[in-house]
Amino acid sequence: MKISDLADNTGEWLRGTGPESDIVISSRIRLARNVARFPFLSRANLKQKKELEEVVRDRIKESDIAHDLCYVNLSEVSPIDRLFLVERHLISREHAGGEGERGVAFGKSETISLMVNEEDHLRIQVIRSGFELKEAWKTIDEVDNKLEKKLCYAYSSRFGYLTACPTNVGTGMRASVMLHLPALGMTHHIEKVFNAVMKLGLVVRGLYGEGTQVSGDLYQISNQFTLGKSEQEIIEIIEGVIPRITSYERMARKALVSESREQLEDRIWRSYGMLKAARLITSEEIMHLLSQVRMGVNLGIINDIEMKTLNELFILTLPGHLQKLEGRELDSTQRNVIRAAYVRKRLEK
Amino acid sequence: MKCESCNKKHATVHLTEIVGNTKKERHLCEECAQSVNTHLTKIPSPTEILTSLINQVAPEINEMSKIACPVCGLSYLDFRTSGRLGCPMDYTIFRKGLTPILEKMHGSTQHVGKVPSRAGKELIKKNELMQLRNELNKAVEKEDYEKAAELRDKIYELSGASDENQ
Repeated sequence: MKISDLADNTGEWLRGTGPESDIVISSRIRLARNVARFPFLSRANLKQKKELEEVVRDRIKESDIAHDLCYVNLSEVSPIDRLFLVERHLISREHAGGEGERGVAFGKSETISLMVNEEDHLRIQVIRSGFELKEAWKTIDEVDNKLEKKLCYAYSSRFGYLTACPTNVGTGMRASVMLHLPALGMTHHIEKVFNAVMKLGLVVRGLYGEGTQVSGDLYQISNQFTLGKSEQEIIEIIEGVIPRITSYERMARKALVSESREQLEDRIWRSYGMLKAARLITSEEIMHLLSQVRMGVNLGIINDIEMKTLNELFILTLPGHLQKLEGRELDSTQRNVIRAAYVRKRLEK
Repeated sequence: MKCESCNKKHATVHLTEIVGNTKKERHLCEECAQSVNTHLTKIPSPTEILTSLINQVAPEINEMSKIACPVCGLSYLDFRTSGRLGCPMDYTIFRKGLTPILEKMHGSTQHVGKVPSRAGKELIKKNELMQLRNELNKAVEKEDYEKAAELRDKIYELSGASDENQ
């Protein structure tokens, strides 16, 4: 499998299925692991990095994690390919922009990804469509158990899994849920919700994690603490909070429908019209338009477009994807033209 | 106002001394104030002010500032600057400084989650390793690097053995 083979599809987590998938786009868990006897990457020399990359890569291949696992050496692929992998959530932005020997292994469904030599020696990630953190944990726990047989992890009974950054030590786990919350944004209640969330020790971030802007009303909620609570406890905290947020979002949507139906329908249909007719669309604008239309589909206002298509368009219209699709580098004006054309074509079907 | 002592320089230090019921004021230039043999508190130098500030904000830094990890070479100050550790052993070497940081960060300093299966089988070995790590800590604190290197090799040997047993 090559990176270009991915371009026509998207990962299974964008199917738009699973519990609460009108609001919860996906559930993701990642585990940070390091190999004992090696320094963390910031103190590793080139030789050690290379050795680590080989060792971890080979153990992954031997571990029978998925039959179709493919491995990409990131130092050998183009910046566009790396951007493409970031946009698909298969690697992190830091991993794409890193230096030296590093890589990623993933299966065709893109549910599992294993980053080698990211901030830690190994970062395992599982993404599932909808609100399925428990399922994601089950999968990642199994993958971790298989790898643990081959790799001697850096672990201490006091501090748990030892990581390069003390913010990840302990479980090494970050569990996050991606939410689409347009109505809470429109009714200006989003801040209140997030303040309450943060009091529970959870963090709110944008689409691509730490330090990224919120766009398309997409938010990621994840745990901040990794030490002192078990994986199950952390998952339960998030699982307890998400239904409350989704019910607030549904209430806000209901209020919008009952109080200002015409305005809401107008906004949604205008956005749909723009997507179908515009000749130039920036990446920021498309996120906004898709968000409006997505809510329109959820509310039954628009009926002729599938949720899967909309979810996919959030990813397929990103700069890396458009450039991969065209097979060449594009400046932002060219991208805006191609983006608009691509969306028109997809919505005609 | 001229300095009472040398009568040459401008008096910039004004001291009020109270002994019993008598109050005595002295006006001195900085140089004389430093050299005058008084029991008054010395004016702290900028370095001292900085040190006392660090002591207030992060009391462990002063104490830990001389410590560096014999395995990866990272110094405690490097860690506090970058926020990143250099190798798994740093959790042992910098434990004293790290524990309050972890407490602040996570509200806890004790892992309660998943345990790798090999950890169960090797509990005995782990205790031995813990012992060695404590000794390593003491050696580093005493700046006995020869001993530290010896202990490091022992720790490597012991934790390495589990690698080959897989």
